[in-house]
Amino acid sequence: MMSNRKKMLYVQTSGIEAPERLYAPFILAMTAKAMDMDAAVYFLIRGITVIKKGEAAKIKIGSFPSLKDVMDQAVEAGVELYACAQSCELMNMPKGDLEGRVKVAGAATLNDLVVDSDGVMYF
Amino acid sequence: MELDLRGLYCPVPVFRAREEISNVGIGEELVIIADDPAADEDLRRWAKRAGHEVISSQREGSELMIRIRRMR
Repeated sequence: MMSNRKKMLYVQTSGIEAPERLYAPFILAMTAKAMDMDAAVYFLIRGITVIKKGEAAKIKIGSFPSLKDVMDQAVEAGVELYACAQSCELMNMPKGDLEGRVKVAGAATLNDLVVDSDGVMYF
Repeated sequence: MELDLRGLYCPVPVFRAREEISNVGIGEELVIIADDPAADEDLRRWAKRAGHEVISSQREGSELMIRIRRMR
């Protein structure tokens, strides 16, 4: 099954201590979907804190909606979310403490996504 | 052939699968048991990229059983 659709990958390495860095991957990914591209966000290192259950709901900047609302909209639009399993260990996050619609993955998956994507952006 | 990878975590399951697949004949299956939460996604992608076929993948509790056919 070959697809001509372009693919975008956004790698989020920033965590909840940098809320201003957290909106862009979701907004860009949603926009990619609206442009008929596939889009995925991979949460790595401190980025994993963004998808810890309950954390995104606490983040809201100015007149922006809460980060949880933006995340839900992105998932609704078909954006795929991936969590690095070893980063969860690194950040002492117990299994099962992740937001619902996140796929747990590892090094092979991230490498595969990067080479398979037409564009990769890091936040 | 069965490969028990319980207790081993990313990226080790991919390394072990890569080693072990060379010990099964072309067209034969390697059955992997793993409890690394990343194993399903990672082993599927490794298999596809390495040119092997994932026959099935089943999860029971925290354990995964994935069957991969060596294709080359």
